[in-house]
Amino acid sequence: MTDTAYREEIEELNFHYLLLAQRLINEDKAGAMLRLGIAPDMADLLASVSAHQITQLSRTNQLLCQFTAFSGERLQKVINNRNDKGFSTLHAALLMLGNQGGGSSAMAARGASRG
Amino acid sequence: MDEKKLLGELSEVRLAIELIELGARLTLLESEFNLARTRLLRLYKEVSGGSPSKGLLPFSEDWFFVWNNNIHASLFYAYFQRLTANSGLPRIEALVKAYKLYVEQVTQDGHELVLDITRAWTLLRFFDAKIMKTASCNCCGGNFVMHAQGFERNFVCVICQPPARAGQGKEHMNYHA
Repeated sequence: MTDTAYREEIEELNFHYLLLAQRLINEDKAGAMLRLGIAPDMADLLASVSAHQITQLSRTNQLLCQFTAFSGERLQKVINNRNDKGFSTLHAALLMLGNQGGGSSAMAARGASRG
Repeated sequence: MDEKKLLGELSEVRLAIELIELGARLTLLESEFNLARTRLLRLYKEVSGGSPSKGLLPFSEDWFFVWNNNIHASLFYAYFQRLTANSGLPRIEALVKAYKLYVEQVTQDGHELVLDITRAWTLLRFFDAKIMKTASCNCCGGNFVMHAQGFERNFVCVICQPPARAGQGKEHMNYHA
């Protein structure tokens, strides 16, 4: 019973996510890529997906949008910053910008070396 | 005048209008566009409804290292970098887009706009001139604006480690969490 409810919620979220993604990409591709954290080829693909395909894609029992690739450790630092001066949101925004795909390879290398 | 040139000029005018609306100073427009100064001046007056201010541009490097200024500048620069890294967006368009995203994020979170567009542009010029760089915070991993001669080793950003009296000034009184 609850499982069905979750599944419906996930489907709905997927559907709205894809619609929003398409709208963002059609309005401003570069901005959409940044907001959605996706690469140019994915942006082109999503923009071209038909309404029927969107419904089909939405009907999975997994979420299509995934958590931004910033590690649990860093998220922890943003949420539980003891020195917080009201900058948590801006901090999170800044960290997400540094961590999404397409960031500099130096950044990725640094992350890798840190384990 | 051939058609290509006219179209190019048109898109410059469109961008210039956007920049003026965002509060850009005339000097910024003059150095970024090929349009004649007289045309830019007329455009400026028509769009902003007033004469451009005549004072010096904000040229101070130190401004960017005041703790909350540094947060704002780093956020803007992060938007700019992401926009230019992933798409072939021309620099000046990326400036406009990045600045709009910065404004959107900062106002959405109820903060005061600390960085104006002319200063954002100045920051980009500092990066071009290799006066500035970004350094990765050893605590949170975020990239922050730093003086090119600054030490990156053991660098901790102003959010993870704010200066002792940070947030006690009047600039912070307007902010309510």
